[in-house]
Amino acid sequence: MTPDLSVEIAGVKFKNPILTASGTCGYGEELADLFSLSHLGGIVTKSITVEPREGHPPPRTAEADSGMLNAIGLANVGVDRFIDEKLRFLEKHDTVVVVNVAGARLQDYIDVCARLDDCPRADMVELNFSCPNVDWGMEIAKSPTRAEQAVREINKVFSRPVIAKLSPNVSDISEIARACEAGGAAAVSLINTLVGMAVDIDTRRPRLTNNTGGLSGPAIKPVALAMIHQVYGSVKTPVIGIGGVMTWRDAVEFFLCGASAVQIGTALFVESDAPVKITAGLKKYLSRNKIRNISELVGKLRKY
Amino acid sequence: MSRIVVENLNIIKKTDLGRDNYVIDLAPFSKAGAVKPGRFIHVKIPRTDVFFRRAFSVYDINPGEKSISIIFKVLGRGTALLAGLRNGDSLSVLGPLGNGFNLPSTRETAILAAGGIGMPPIYLLAKKLLEKRFDKTKLLFFYGGASGADLVDIRRIKKLGLKLLPATEDGTLGFKGVVTDAIRDKIATADGKFRIYACGPEGMLKAVDRLAGELRMPGQLSLEAPMPCGLGVCLGCIRPLAAGGYTRVCREGPVYNIGEVLL
Repeated sequence: MTPDLSVEIAGVKFKNPILTASGTCGYGEELADLFSLSHLGGIVTKSITVEPREGHPPPRTAEADSGMLNAIGLANVGVDRFIDEKLRFLEKHDTVVVVNVAGARLQDYIDVCARLDDCPRADMVELNFSCPNVDWGMEIAKSPTRAEQAVREINKVFSRPVIAKLSPNVSDISEIARACEAGGAAAVSLINTLVGMAVDIDTRRPRLTNNTGGLSGPAIKPVALAMIHQVYGSVKTPVIGIGGVMTWRDAVEFFLCGASAVQIGTALFVESDAPVKITAGLKKYLSRNKIRNISELVGKLRKY
Repeated sequence: MSRIVVENLNIIKKTDLGRDNYVIDLAPFSKAGAVKPGRFIHVKIPRTDVFFRRAFSVYDINPGEKSISIIFKVLGRGTALLAGLRNGDSLSVLGPLGNGFNLPSTRETAILAAGGIGMPPIYLLAKKLLEKRFDKTKLLFFYGGASGADLVDIRRIKKLGLKLLPATEDGTLGFKGVVTDAIRDKIATADGKFRIYACGPEGMLKAVDRLAGELRMPGQLSLEAPMPCGLGVCLGCIRPLAAGGYTRVCREGPVYNIGEVLL
């Protein structure tokens, strides 16, 4: 029996449940030097904004124990160049293309998503409601009313599935997830990075010019699992898990907590071919445990 | 076939150069033949508390045994752990990464400027040029440091059989002063077309960039930046360009033309 790794989320078929996370794989070109993008269930692009952005001045990444901090500041090529160049490259590959979208106000998200609606290979959009590194990034993320309104308005201009990416830097992530679901989100993805800081004791400066940055990597995996578990129990819409997945074992934990798919992020910076290894590992795990389809694992956490 | 690979390589030889400097030879690397001088590898320290890989310019290559060498000085946690490894230990290596130097034309005199632990890509460039039968007399290898002891693995450089011109700030070896003054001094009395290649500490690269700009001498610098991914996806190792905007040192670099990057 060959185990089936394919999953379907909001009507979109993924050949496997392993996607690359936004901001960790650019627009796919660099990773393609290392492995074929057709190994991926999907690729989630760097956040796209209306205008190109250079991002914050360096240093904008710092090493942390079992993880890292980043404050890139949404550096990206802007929607025009994304569609003209980057999407042309991506659409040649047999993988689901999820375009991550960010903006300074709701109208920016609407403008970018309306442009992407005309590009059939932008299979899905993922709304970055949770970038902690730009001062306006958290506005929508923290307010259920705004989040719901945002998803609803964006759904009017983008005809394919909309994923809402949630911030862990809120008091109740389930409340935001429910609001996004009410607004028509086809799925929610979580978690984005946790706000963190590191200090150089010799210069007495923060290690990032932005002072704070987003903490990612294995350090945040327990937080991600707890939040995925919580959100899975409170919404019907599929949950895509993100947060420190390094190995196939980590991925299995995410599925059991309720993730229908997982995104690999910071792992790409350390084990660049992690998605390929994780997919292979999952296949063996399913075979060993006589599980026909990966979706049979989703949310199958046993109770004490 | 992939242009970049991740492979587990064995430490086939570890050489203690003294004063916390080490050379390690790693094999078998399937891309050993594709390593041009100036390119680098990204090495995973086999410990979970050192999260990022560490970037090292390739120092030497032996295509026959598919081995590559790196030099490092113990400066932090990562290099301290590397220094503790032994022959036979395995390391995950990502590479080859980045772009190498553009070679000089045969009519040019190549000024090679190495500083301290930044010597490796300059050595490999010299070795490659000699293999390509570049005229030995048109290869000036300047090597600078604070003191004679900061010039590492000089024996290997000398084995190339070219003219080595050391420069030390305390005068313990060769020219007394910084490497850019040694270069200025030397070429003041020399004729010909020059092209400069440099790798070393930030201050030295700034001085080389200034000197080359002043003398309208073409050439390239190999830069360093803290580098999380090495592939161009994390956007962490950026530096500002003279023309505006940022460049990714790992992807567009680490080798840049004189004047291209704001130092």
